[in-house]
Amino acid sequence: MIEVTGLHKQYGTRTVLDVPHLSVERGACVALIGANGSGKTTLLRILAGQLKPTSGTFSTPQPVLYLPQRCYAFRGTVLQNVLIGTKNKREDALSLLERMELAPLLQKEARSLSGGELQRLAFCRLMLRDCTLLLLDEPTSACDSHAAELLLQELQRYRAAQGCTVLLSTHSRAVAAQVADRCLLLANGRASALRSEAGTQCEFSFD
Amino acid sequence: MDAFRQAMHLLFTLDPELLQILGVTMRMSFFSTTISCLIGLPLGTLLGTHSFRGKAFLKKLLHTLMGLPPVVAGLLVYALFTHYGPFGSLHLLFTVRVMVIAQCLLITPVVTGLCASYMEQSAAGILETARGMGLPSGRVLLLCLTESRTSLLSVVLSAFGRSIAEVGAVSIVGGNIQWKTRVMTTAILLETNKGNFSFALALGCILLLIAFVVNVAASWIVKEARYD
Repeated sequence: MIEVTGLHKQYGTRTVLDVPHLSVERGACVALIGANGSGKTTLLRILAGQLKPTSGTFSTPQPVLYLPQRCYAFRGTVLQNVLIGTKNKREDALSLLERMELAPLLQKEARSLSGGELQRLAFCRLMLRDCTLLLLDEPTSACDSHAAELLLQELQRYRAAQGCTVLLSTHSRAVAAQVADRCLLLANGRASALRSEAGTQCEFSFD
Repeated sequence: MDAFRQAMHLLFTLDPELLQILGVTMRMSFFSTTISCLIGLPLGTLLGTHSFRGKAFLKKLLHTLMGLPPVVAGLLVYALFTHYGPFGSLHLLFTVRVMVIAQCLLITPVVTGLCASYMEQSAAGILETARGMGLPSGRVLLLCLTESRTSLLSVVLSAFGRSIAEVGAVSIVGGNIQWKTRVMTTAILLETNKGNFSFALALGCILLLIAFVVNVAASWIVKEARYD
């Protein structure tokens, strides 16, 4: 379960995040939505332990996996990238890459991939690991609709297998509606409301 | 042109004193660069990728040490290893070992500072991704170093360049003793003082040639590693 109390992040005099209270139950999938600069990435980075808040407390289940918005390709091939830090996962990696339609690129240099391919590769790197909390920062932003569909299907499969909690930020109404149980709206750093219930369309009301 | 001809003559006739000086120079530069990099690269990576209390002060101290004048470093090491100094009983003064120690004192802050600056500016993406994958911190550090190896090579080459070109510290602690602690730079200084300019220039040409060969070899190693 994620518990956030009085979480505040400030750069100089500019407040970029202000979440008085947030609670996400175990196994839930919450979509963070909001305009650019609304604090989605800041919240995810704080929960991932990559950024220190100015004030406030939070607790997250461990281990946590985090997919940053800007994906980085390590040196080596696509397969080598996916297998970094794993043991005996070669077969799993091959079938995962097959499902994600990256199999033809297995031996290709990861740094030569397109933006969408790289985003799928970065996502695959996480899917081979276990976690109880998965944080995804705009995971489909560089993907076309077909690639986004593949990625979201894989996310559902992973979620079902792991039973993990998922927090993902997105600008896409379709993505939020497809995978999220509910949505958290962020505007000017403020978490304003939890709008929709499971299975319903998310309501969007940007300030 | 005469100096270049003389340099080639010295090299191709395998002048024994020149070979001995070259040997000492390469041994000293190799060990001081290696030790400095073994200490400085992980330290610089840690400094550039972690936030902790006192980091700003540590960076200021590091920047001060990066500008440490070689003669001051030489004097410090001399004071430590002189007969009545705290390490006098080791009898290391006027040996190649103490020259390596003096050079490490000069070069380690340079390697650490340059590596930290690079990591602060360029390694954010590597760090964010590697930590996001839940990798242990040792593995993250290793990934940072291996991913940045092309850029870090220039740090290593800067360290080697500073080591091979350094004269102040090595002449104080090494004593420029013929057949023992004489290196290219101290030999050039001596020959210039003797008025033997063409020989000094010839030695300078050889020093430049070594720097060029090391640069080409290092670039080749990195290129090979990239296509492994």
